[in-house]
Amino acid sequence: MKLFFGLLLVLTLSYSNAADTMPPDLSGMTDRGLTIEIYSELSPLRINQIHSWHIRVRDGDKEVPMLEQLSVFGGMPEHDHGLPTQPEVTTRLDDGDYLLEGVRFHMQGLWRLQIELQLEGVDDTAIIEFIL
Amino acid sequence: MKKLLVPLAFVLITGVIAWNYLSLPGANAWSEEELRLLSSLALDALPPLPADPSNSVADHPAAVEFGHRLFFDKRLSSNGQVACASCHKPELMFTDALPLAAGVGVGPMHTPGLAGLAYSPWFYWDGRKDSQWAQALAPLEAKHEQATDRIQLLHLINGDPVYYSMYENLFGALPSTSNLPLTGAPEGDEAQQANWNSLDGRTQTAINRTFSNLGKAIAAYERKLLPGPARFDDYIAQLEAGSEEEFALSSSEIAGLKLFIGKGQCVTCHNGPLLSNHEFHNTGVLAVNGTMPSMGRYDGIRISREDPFNCLGQFSDATAEQCTELRFSRDTNDLVGAMKTPTLRNISATAPYMHGGQMQDLKQVIDHYNRAPSSMLSHNEAKPLGLRTVERNQLEAFLLTLSAPLGTEKKWLAAPDY
Repeated sequence: MKLFFGLLLVLTLSYSNAADTMPPDLSGMTDRGLTIEIYSELSPLRINQIHSWHIRVRDGDKEVPMLEQLSVFGGMPEHDHGLPTQPEVTTRLDDGDYLLEGVRFHMQGLWRLQIELQLEGVDDTAIIEFIL
Repeated sequence: MKKLLVPLAFVLITGVIAWNYLSLPGANAWSEEELRLLSSLALDALPPLPADPSNSVADHPAAVEFGHRLFFDKRLSSNGQVACASCHKPELMFTDALPLAAGVGVGPMHTPGLAGLAYSPWFYWDGRKDSQWAQALAPLEAKHEQATDRIQLLHLINGDPVYYSMYENLFGALPSTSNLPLTGAPEGDEAQQANWNSLDGRTQTAINRTFSNLGKAIAAYERKLLPGPARFDDYIAQLEAGSEEEFALSSSEIAGLKLFIGKGQCVTCHNGPLLSNHEFHNTGVLAVNGTMPSMGRYDGIRISREDPFNCLGQFSDATAEQCTELRFSRDTNDLVGAMKTPTLRNISATAPYMHGGQMQDLKQVIDHYNRAPSSMLSHNEAKPLGLRTVERNQLEAFLLTLSAPLGTEKKWLAAPDY
């Protein structure tokens, strides 16, 4: 068990370091102007492989926002269906990033992500579109 | 005016025929984007076999040999006539050429092939199992398949010196059979259930563990079943190398490939080197005659979550953190009637098609997708394609280029002789 958590820590740290130096795999902005950066464990993104993301939410130069809620939904507007999985934010990481687990894409084409968050009691949304 | 009618009708009819049957030129050129997509479909792009953390013997050579024996052994059935290999016939790419699986009885679903299945996170047409070993357990007890049960299997292993030794070498001591009834299973007939319920929880758990270990050995064997490179892959290799030799595919087959990744939209679900996204889609296929339409993945995911042999269960070797597919699985209404996308590799050898074997040949399948009829339950994700007759023929010609001998050592493709 210790070995598992040790390994998880090493992976998380190296993953965090990557998020500090690499450009995000996806990015966008919420309706209220918060920036969203997504760093994927699987980069570049590809189909048919389950993986996790670090989601970084920032408010310009201000203090790192403490979100009350963060959820990610997604789908393919051209095919009228959602993601094949139901990803969940499972952890708030030390650097203020969030760990989203259970991401998988199963088709090539246009994907639309809907990132819903709540900050200081106010709901906010970002839409990010990309082609796989 | 009347004089004009005949030539006009002639021209019209000729035009319609020509439109349906004449191939349009220029189909053999590929854009950079198309080339990238084609490379992603080649067998060369297949990553190494993913680990199965829920099965600690998934890649253990002794488990492969044990599973090989079990897979071909007809004693693993109530009438001594049905093995896994009775429906998953190696000579038919591990299918059976029947619309519906026929073991001890006739089942509700068509037998899927097994080659490359170890890459899939879900098993059965409706994804009711989340590992190959958990899947392997269900036919052993299903009334229409092998119709034996976990206690009978324990007696069989105990009474066969080779199996006994193989089992204990891999998994440790076999539970004692001395005080056990001869049959018993939690979901068997009345007598089997009564026998099962007469046992204490500890004994039931020990039997379940043995049962799950047999599934793990069978799964270890099944992981050896992998597709081999087909003419299609040779063509992709030629394109990648910029070869000027004669192409491995004919112009008609190449035109079919163009349709496969373009107008035919096949590649949206039949993607990656196995030509399957291993996911679930409602494509408006009719229910099997005389039956209600299946709820498909909508029910399948619920069954999987309740399965005592799933990744999160006590018989799994995985940590909860490793069970990502199950933990983050989706169960929404759009999965009603959705069935798993099968691989298209060796599709010509695995007729009939669809989850109930409803379609006899590839022409019927292509015609189905061309029409995209309304679904009996929920909605058909596919849209009509408007493929002309010549295009449907080209698409079929391309699908035939996906045939190749399996990329599996020959000794695994027949009953063991060692």
